[in-house]
Amino acid sequence: MDRLIELAPEFWTAAAETLYMVALTMLFGGAGGFLLGVGLYVTRRGGLLPNVVVNNVLNVVINFFRPIPFIIFIAAVQPVTRAVIGVGIGTDAAIFALSLAAAFAIGRIVEQNLLTVRPGVIEAARSMGAGPWRILGTVVVPEALGPLILGYTFIVVAVIDMSAMAGLIGGGGLGYFAQLYGYRQFEPVVTWAAVLLIVAFVQVVQYLGNWLARRVLRR
Amino acid sequence: MALVTLEHVTKSYPAADRRAEPVTAVDDVSLEIGAGDVFGIIGYSGAGKSTLVRLVNALEPATSGSIRIDGREITGLAERELRGIRLGIGMIFQQFNLFDAKTVRGNVAYPLKVAGWRAADIRARVDELLDFVGLADKAGARPDQLSGGQKQRVGIARALATRPRILLADEATSALDPETTHEVLTLLKRVNEEQGVTIIVITHEMDVIQTIATKVAVMDRGRVIEHGDVFDVFSGPRHPSSQRFVGTVIKGVPSPAELAVLRERHEGRIVTFSFRDGDASQAQVFIDLAAAGLEFELVYGGINDIRGRAFGHLTLAIRGADAAIDRALETVARHADVTEAR
Repeated sequence: MDRLIELAPEFWTAAAETLYMVALTMLFGGAGGFLLGVGLYVTRRGGLLPNVVVNNVLNVVINFFRPIPFIIFIAAVQPVTRAVIGVGIGTDAAIFALSLAAAFAIGRIVEQNLLTVRPGVIEAARSMGAGPWRILGTVVVPEALGPLILGYTFIVVAVIDMSAMAGLIGGGGLGYFAQLYGYRQFEPVVTWAAVLLIVAFVQVVQYLGNWLARRVLRR
Repeated sequence: MALVTLEHVTKSYPAADRRAEPVTAVDDVSLEIGAGDVFGIIGYSGAGKSTLVRLVNALEPATSGSIRIDGREITGLAERELRGIRLGIGMIFQQFNLFDAKTVRGNVAYPLKVAGWRAADIRARVDELLDFVGLADKAGARPDQLSGGQKQRVGIARALATRPRILLADEATSALDPETTHEVLTLLKRVNEEQGVTIIVITHEMDVIQTIATKVAVMDRGRVIEHGDVFDVFSGPRHPSSQRFVGTVIKGVPSPAELAVLRERHEGRIVTFSFRDGDASQAQVFIDLAAAGLEFELVYGGINDIRGRAFGHLTLAIRGADAAIDRALETVARHADVTEAR
């Protein structure tokens, strides 16, 4: 316990790093994943803008990257990180890798949630003369908003999990803190302090997500 | 000139796999639908009627043939131009297809936004429409707070928002109970009579046709097998499939099974008299039979009213000397169609 009190500054810095990484990952990865998901959704057969080639390319790309364990992905993607961010290590480099990995997962989640919109509703909008982009923006996304929020909530929790591995490339965060000061120095209290804070983050995120989804669904 | 003209329209879908045959949902259909008609299209599920109606507003492109709306050929038009055509054709659905994420007002306003109306005009038009369908107090409600009948009334208000000349109703009452069905059909009748909207009604229920349609086409396996005035098709269906549909709402000529029961219960010769238009001929039948000194009883049948015109089939069991019956039937044949069951 004394050790934890000693480490308080490092602990809060790590917590802030985790929040910073998760927030920016959700911003960039969330936007990229949304575009990927929408791309998959509109180009599929019978979709709003069917396009077999684009659909197949997106599917192959996502299926290629998604199964790679993040701890390997973060290392494998380093040359790209260096080209884009300028450096291969550090918090910003970790955010880049996290955003990329999250985008592929979010793409699938977005696609699945958009697919829950009943085809009849889309047909109704078409029968009123609405074009595909208008239907996407004013019918499909609003109708799927509740499940989309829950899907994004699910991803935030997954990104908190992935961010624990950012330490591998010097990204910091609570995962790295627990490894460095807890596990390696035989300080279970320190390890558990990090665990409990992560659990608290997840609880808050899940609660907010549920609350928001319920408000949107108004049920 | 007809408002909607279909000429040799065919819609086929490519085969699902190499071994399967391509599916022809609509097969060489030619129809003319006049302005102001309530045109019923009846058929069993899979007969192609839902596909046919989706060709009219080009939700699906026809494979071949010509479709003209108000004289304008729509086959081969680009998607962008078709959107303009669709603004002039409203559509309602069996499952209502309301936007759950929008309020009743938002649903009815949607097509007006698509059509580019100004916000103030949209507000006034939505109020007017909700008033018309009797849901002025539900403007702020969400679809999941409404009953089935109310949902369909919102659907109708939404479909009529841009003042289309044509309304397509795809099994619009099939998900509703009989009383609500009647309510919705009454509303559609008002739409037709008060606003002069031409309505194309797709249904598998003959009483829907009987209640509101003026013209009817019977579809079977992609083809229109019979069409004409509702009165003509109901009073004298020619095709077996049409006869089956008419038989669901009208007691006509007894079927062989029914005939066997009638024979068991009643003595004498079983004869069906069919009347069209007016009761004079019906009275004359009874006068003739009575004058011939024959004994008879009414065993089956009924008189129907379609849009103010009556027709019916009455089956009598007639007893007396054969020769006298034959003579009497010859006289009666001048006033009514006579079919004797053998």
